[in-house]
Amino acid sequence: MVTETVRYIDAISSVLRHELDRDPDVLILGEDVSYGGPFGATAGLSESFGPRRVIDTPISEGAVMGLAVGAALSGCRPVVEVMFADFVTLAMDQLVNHAAKFRYMTDGKLSVPMTIRVQGGVGGGYGAQHSQSLESWFLHVPGLKVVAPSSVADAGGLLAAAIRDDDPVIYLEHRGLYWSKGSFVPGGSPTRIGAAAVVRPGSDVTVVAVSRMVNIALTASEKLATEGIDVELVDLRSVAPIDWETIEDSVRRTRRLVVVHEAAVTGGLGAELVAGLSARAFEVFATSAVRVGAPFAPVPASPFLEQFYAPSVDDVVVAVHKTLDDR
Amino acid sequence: MVVAALAQSDAEDLELMWRIRAFEEKASELFARGKISGLLHLAIGQEATAVGVCGALNPLDTVFSGHRPHAHAIAKGAEIGKLFAELAGRGTGYCGGKGGSMHLAVPEVGFVTATGVVAGNIPLALGAALSSSIRGKQEVSVAFFGDGAVQTGLFHECLNLASLWKLPVVLICENNGFAEFSPLSAHTVVRRLADHADTYGIPSETIDGNDLALVRAAAVTAVDRARGGGGPSFLECLTHRFRGHYEGDPTLKRGSHARDEEKDPISRFVRSLQGHAGSTEPEEIEARIRVEVDEAADEALTAPWPDRENLATNVVASW
Amino acid sequence: MLPDLGAEVLVALLERMLVARRFEEQLIDLAQERDIGHFHVYVGQETTGIPALALLEGGDLSFTNHRNHGHLIARGAEPGPMYAEILGRVTGYCRGKGGTLHLASAKHGFPTTSSATGGCIPPAVGAALGFQRLGSDRVSVCLMGDGALEEGAWHESANIAAMEQLPVVFLCENNSLEALGQRAGEYPSSTMAASDLTDLASVFGIESVAIDGLDTRSVHQTMTKAVQRARAGDGPTFIEARTVRWPGNRPIWPELATGKTNLSMAWDNSIIPEEHKKWHQEQDGVLRFVRELMSGGQISKEVVLELDRETSARVREGLVFALDSPYPSPEEALEHVFAPHQG
Repeated sequence: MVTETVRYIDAISSVLRHELDRDPDVLILGEDVSYGGPFGATAGLSESFGPRRVIDTPISEGAVMGLAVGAALSGCRPVVEVMFADFVTLAMDQLVNHAAKFRYMTDGKLSVPMTIRVQGGVGGGYGAQHSQSLESWFLHVPGLKVVAPSSVADAGGLLAAAIRDDDPVIYLEHRGLYWSKGSFVPGGSPTRIGAAAVVRPGSDVTVVAVSRMVNIALTASEKLATEGIDVELVDLRSVAPIDWETIEDSVRRTRRLVVVHEAAVTGGLGAELVAGLSARAFEVFATSAVRVGAPFAPVPASPFLEQFYAPSVDDVVVAVHKTLDDR
Repeated sequence: MVVAALAQSDAEDLELMWRIRAFEEKASELFARGKISGLLHLAIGQEATAVGVCGALNPLDTVFSGHRPHAHAIAKGAEIGKLFAELAGRGTGYCGGKGGSMHLAVPEVGFVTATGVVAGNIPLALGAALSSSIRGKQEVSVAFFGDGAVQTGLFHECLNLASLWKLPVVLICENNGFAEFSPLSAHTVVRRLADHADTYGIPSETIDGNDLALVRAAAVTAVDRARGGGGPSFLECLTHRFRGHYEGDPTLKRGSHARDEEKDPISRFVRSLQGHAGSTEPEEIEARIRVEVDEAADEALTAPWPDRENLATNVVASW
Repeated sequence: MLPDLGAEVLVALLERMLVARRFEEQLIDLAQERDIGHFHVYVGQETTGIPALALLEGGDLSFTNHRNHGHLIARGAEPGPMYAEILGRVTGYCRGKGGTLHLASAKHGFPTTSSATGGCIPPAVGAALGFQRLGSDRVSVCLMGDGALEEGAWHESANIAAMEQLPVVFLCENNSLEALGQRAGEYPSSTMAASDLTDLASVFGIESVAIDGLDTRSVHQTMTKAVQRARAGDGPTFIEARTVRWPGNRPIWPELATGKTNLSMAWDNSIIPEEHKKWHQEQDGVLRFVRELMSGGQISKEVVLELDRETSARVREGLVFALDSPYPSPEEALEHVFAPHQG
């Protein structure tokens, strides 16, 4: 297999094509998917696989999510595209009360092998109803798996894994990452769901970041390196289940923790990580963990305000310094 | 005078209706005795719809039901012992006690699942129909729901999708005139719910849901249409529930649900069996079924509780 | 045809249409030179929104969607604060926090604008419920597109509006005729199985009518009747106003596909190019309105051109104002999440 340098969105397209080809039970459903969707992720798939398998839907998120659940119960592997994360709200009943719960409620008799691709995040001045990161909602629902790739390789690997997984998996894409380039192996093996990745080994502080924040944190790490601070950066990759082992191992060595996500700090993924690690390894912490995230407000439309909304490189640097306050 | 035996199909239908009736009445009794807890929605009075429709289906056809699912599950072939056990929260129930009345699942007989969210089962049936059609199978899906579900946005979205994609699904609306505690008239000005199907070009019928023969005939037409690639159908079955929305609900005191011999689908069916006036077979069937049901209930109540270790199992296939 | 209104009123309608048209054209121009994010333009639908909304009074509320610029202009919003809002400046109607997708101005009767398809429907019905229960004769107008009819929210809201006989007017601008991707001869669309959009309302017993959205007489008459009915307590009305989708409204980014509107095409056929001929001759509502005004003797071409110059200048000034406006201070991003602390 050949490694290529492609864009994040191309990796997604490539995997969708590969999975459609490999497994006749895979279906794509979503608004305008045969036109490629608003960002081109599904471009060309309808021409190759036809309207039987690449299905354009009306604007009916509730019914479409439920229909995907029903198809999954019946042997298909649907991949539903929700155009903007914010609109998952229209499908919450089917996602939370049905997809996530059928296996449990039937004590294992029913399986819901579906993937829900969700595009979201801040950028472009789209405003409060088109920019949310809702991973903490989904992490809180037993029965849902949640992944958020930051690299191009993982965009491909985690999508393949999600599609092949027998549980409902929410696959979070950040539109700010769509055009980023990286290496990708078309037809390569899936990335295991539930495994975080140490992107930059280090010894002074553990920074756990997710999705677009991984690159922000990486830049911050490089900046901190010039100050003689050695960051160990962990790309969470899997929001549910969380790879506690990798993070705990890291914190046991560095004794300091910063968590970075784009979503608001209040009630966010960071809260779960800090609390979880406290429970596991409280005694190793030299200082309080610090969470970096957005303020507790909807996303403003003004591009000027929007730029202050999501965490910046400096925010991460400041947070790292805080954990080193005892030195 | 020699009274002819019931035709086998009639006997089977009657048996099934009695099984449902007896099951529901027994469940009510168990609920009153504290042996079944939670929310229990009974379909007493709605047996003809369940049996009429399910009798038109093949074993591989799928049924998706709502919060009032027992009749549908039984009509599709679920065993009452395991149903009782599930309602009573025992480990031997169809879902190991984890689903309960509103989340029964017996996929092995094609009763895929029930759901406690009104209209939540409708898109599931569409999905199963889509799956069948895409994979070249000949299976038909059925969604049972009540008049209350018709007011949901989800219902509307599903009608559109089913029609647009010509899905092999049959939508059965058991219009018993009540949505939870309110009469239908408090929820909509639409009188004939099948009008909604007409809007989307879906063939529809509004029929007396307490007449087994009528229901059966309409169901056969709809199922054949779906199986033949003719797309969805909507059947509005006018019926009546003899109990409140759920057991113990405050409306029982209003006395609006007294048992009505004229409306009782079982009585009507028996009366309709020509040439059997004076036959004791119907009573014999009832008596036999009641014994079967009593025994099944008794046995279910001796079944063990689920293992505590199962509390958090089967959340996901694997981590 | 023209509504039965005096020349002055008709010319005032033209003025609003020109503001709306030039506003959008200038916005598209601006987007060529800088990234202003995504936006949706009202070109091609002016003959529906402007005469319809002109009928509302100060206390009436209108709830609109992502394609709202024309609606706000119809009810008197100014280009300056509108551009400012789109550009995220503090002088915008929402101080930069709404942007184009949530452009709203309470003082012009737009309490909130939703960009989730169908999102404006329940609030519009809710406002109508409020008016009814409070015994007022105010009216609520729901400004929606044909796509919104696919959402379950339509069905639930329409059912309630009908049940309660609420004072709401559903003005559904169907701009999907000849839409990109629509299969030939397809009506209403490839994503709606109903054979007539009005069926989706009339099934609830809601008074429903389909009109030509380019026919200002129809728009005026139908809307007048609908508003009267609502005010009199006679319940909701559904109006499907059909317009042809402007060629410049490609799926993602608007383009000046038919060029900047040349009003002289209203009286000089010879300058109409082959490309988009049908648009210029028949489908552009603004040109049609001008032609009708002229043939009715309500306006001369000199007045048309002068009006256009004036409105274009005002629209340009509006943009200058916006571009010169400051951004909000970063602290503002955290304001108005909740109501101010009470006591």
